[in-house]
Amino acid sequence: MLIQEEMDIREKLQILSDAAKYDVSCSSSGVVRKGKKGTIGNTLAAGICHSFAADGRCISLLKILYTNQCIYDCRYCVNRRSNDVVRTSFTPKEVCTLTIEFYRRNYIEGLFLSSGILYSPDYTMEQIYQTLVLLRNEYRFNGYIHVKAIPGADPELIERVGFLTDRMSVNLELPTAEGLKKLAPGKTREKILMPMRQVQRGIAAQNLRALEDSRDGRNRLPKRLSDFKKSADLSGNSWWDHQHQGKGTDDRNLQLLKMEKRSLGPGKKIGMADTLEHPGRNVWAPLQSENRRFFVPAGQSTQMIVGATPESDYHMIRVAEALYKNYDLKRVFYSAFVRVNDDSLLPVLPGGPPLLREHRLYQADWLLRFYGFEAEELLSEDRPNFNILLDPKCDWALRHLELFPVEVNRADYGTLLRVPGLGVKSARRILAARRSAVLDFPDLKKMGVVLKRAMYFLTCSGKMMIPVQMNENFITSQLISVDHKKAWDIENHDSYRQLSLFDDYQVTASVSGEDMDSVVTGVL
Amino acid sequence: MTVFVCGQEVEDIWCGIYDAWMSRLGHENVRIEFPGQDTELFCQYRDAVTEPWKAEKVTESIRRKLSEALYETVYRAALSEDKERADKIYRFLIYAFAIGISVMDRLQIPAVYEVFRMTRYLAREYTHIIEFTRFSQMEEGVLLGKIKPRNDLLPLVAIHFSDRLSGENWILYDLGRKKAVVHQADRGWMILRVDSAIWQEKLNKKTDEKTYEGLWKTFHNGIAIVQRRNLKCQQNMLPLRFRPYMTEFNSDIDL
Repeated sequence: MLIQEEMDIREKLQILSDAAKYDVSCSSSGVVRKGKKGTIGNTLAAGICHSFAADGRCISLLKILYTNQCIYDCRYCVNRRSNDVVRTSFTPKEVCTLTIEFYRRNYIEGLFLSSGILYSPDYTMEQIYQTLVLLRNEYRFNGYIHVKAIPGADPELIERVGFLTDRMSVNLELPTAEGLKKLAPGKTREKILMPMRQVQRGIAAQNLRALEDSRDGRNRLPKRLSDFKKSADLSGNSWWDHQHQGKGTDDRNLQLLKMEKRSLGPGKKIGMADTLEHPGRNVWAPLQSENRRFFVPAGQSTQMIVGATPESDYHMIRVAEALYKNYDLKRVFYSAFVRVNDDSLLPVLPGGPPLLREHRLYQADWLLRFYGFEAEELLSEDRPNFNILLDPKCDWALRHLELFPVEVNRADYGTLLRVPGLGVKSARRILAARRSAVLDFPDLKKMGVVLKRAMYFLTCSGKMMIPVQMNENFITSQLISVDHKKAWDIENHDSYRQLSLFDDYQVTASVSGEDMDSVVTGVL
Repeated sequence: MTVFVCGQEVEDIWCGIYDAWMSRLGHENVRIEFPGQDTELFCQYRDAVTEPWKAEKVTESIRRKLSEALYETVYRAALSEDKERADKIYRFLIYAFAIGISVMDRLQIPAVYEVFRMTRYLAREYTHIIEFTRFSQMEEGVLLGKIKPRNDLLPLVAIHFSDRLSGENWILYDLGRKKAVVHQADRGWMILRVDSAIWQEKLNKKTDEKTYEGLWKTFHNGIAIVQRRNLKCQQNMLPLRFRPYMTEFNSDIDL
């Protein structure tokens, strides 16, 4: 291993951004924070992409590794121990300067700090923590920060980092425990899920308290604030000194929070009082100092590699669905496998990274999160992979033609959302507009409906836009010919009827010798 | 038909609307235009005089009788690049005062749709501008950014950056309209006309910023995954017209 201590910042940036680029997440969304006097930066709910790289991916955050040295030897990873690459490391100050100077020039929306595991998970997490403390408190950075929670690091460290960052993520990497064991021998499923669970509980407890405040807040709030001020005075400026006095009560408090979450009903009060009964510390209290901060306000995300192990699409979206339901994740990202290491355990993909598959998974992911679909509806054990030629929503609709066409002027929101070519925005606009008028196809177009897809599934006042056979093959061929010309390049034989000269004649028998003769002689 | 001719700034448009409305000639007998458009036969042309009290009357009645949100919508529409925006806003306001605040839901009405379309286009460009604006540091730490938006986005963009970079001195220059936002650290901002020679010299001075611009270019080049190269996708997301003003596409900066 080649470790270079003396290296200028440009070389470091080159190496450590190159090493970080396989992490897909680059969103800066999910938290609104206004600018504040004496600090630099703010955040917007929708996030901002600042540039786009030559691969078409957005650049929103300064995405770097703290160090590319690593004790693990994950097969797929460019930074694995056994690779002979130049190793280097930033200092906290370098990370801060880069972030602030880039931010001032509006190059970036914030910092995405990940890291290889240097010496131990604890040591690495500590370095990240030091960097964030410096960036938030010394450099007064108020913009977006996304960091990795390092699996295996001390929960207390992760919690401290959680109060300084906006988003935290732990990469699941591979959808199954077996895959992980095979390709990432240093990691286990349990180790990865642990910090995820911790962050989830922290956020949940914080939300409960916020709910509590808003419900009967006014009388309680001043009391709570004064309570807090008193204790804050005792411990000086550093708020976590107060919060982290009694280490070791973690598990008990976690149990407590779990119970609280379960038994939350109207009138049930959860707040400072409950946690104060259990001395030691108030585990998940948001920062109440003059610089009020929240615990991982933009939520957590994760990432899975697509195509490094033999899991099907069905498997992937089942895992994603479980993560959304059980871990309250904001996003699951999918990363098409790029073969950066020559390793016998990794698949060889002659067509390059499986980009179309990744694209379909993102589409399905959207359907799970915003369109009310369940993974089971989209795929099944028998049909484990997405149709290459059709997006998952069209594919679903074609298999459920009995539900269509839908009447625009009457259908409810949920039904409208399931129509191909209609999105969340256009469905809402339709609901708003039809209160005062009967809508027709030209109106739909104004509202952003993609008619070339939607026209097969909609009626306006009982009429379809053009006469349509409600027949799966007919609509499939129409949809494919309008919308998916580029997907033709990819061969696909089983998922729908391939167009060929003879298909329309319903010829099923193979061509016989007699047929050939008759063609030559002209005698039929 | 009586045509009221008003200037292109937001305040001028309010005054055009005021004069047309208060002329009591009937909505279908008036039209609002900007100067320089082709004149028509059998039309009477009147100049709308811009006076602050007129503009205030219009904006006040929109805010009071309708809502703050609708005022914001028409304000944005008035910043649009659409040549007929003054008249389109006038037609929209007729419906707005008749229907009330739910007017934006009725996209099936052409006058409403036009305002919706203008503001949607403006919002898209606004997003691009706050994404793609690049500042570069001049002497004494003043940041200078240059943009060339189609819509008159300066006031909206100024609000965004004054919240974000409140502690910095910066200038954001609209090359097309020769206007600039000047922001003073912790003080606030104002929009100035900068077509004078002194300003032009100041704004066209080269900034010397090799370090961070080089670093940013290094990062921008390095972050792309070669195996996924897709220039078409990049161009869809980041149209060419923004690139002349962006550090990472500036070929003057050496790597």
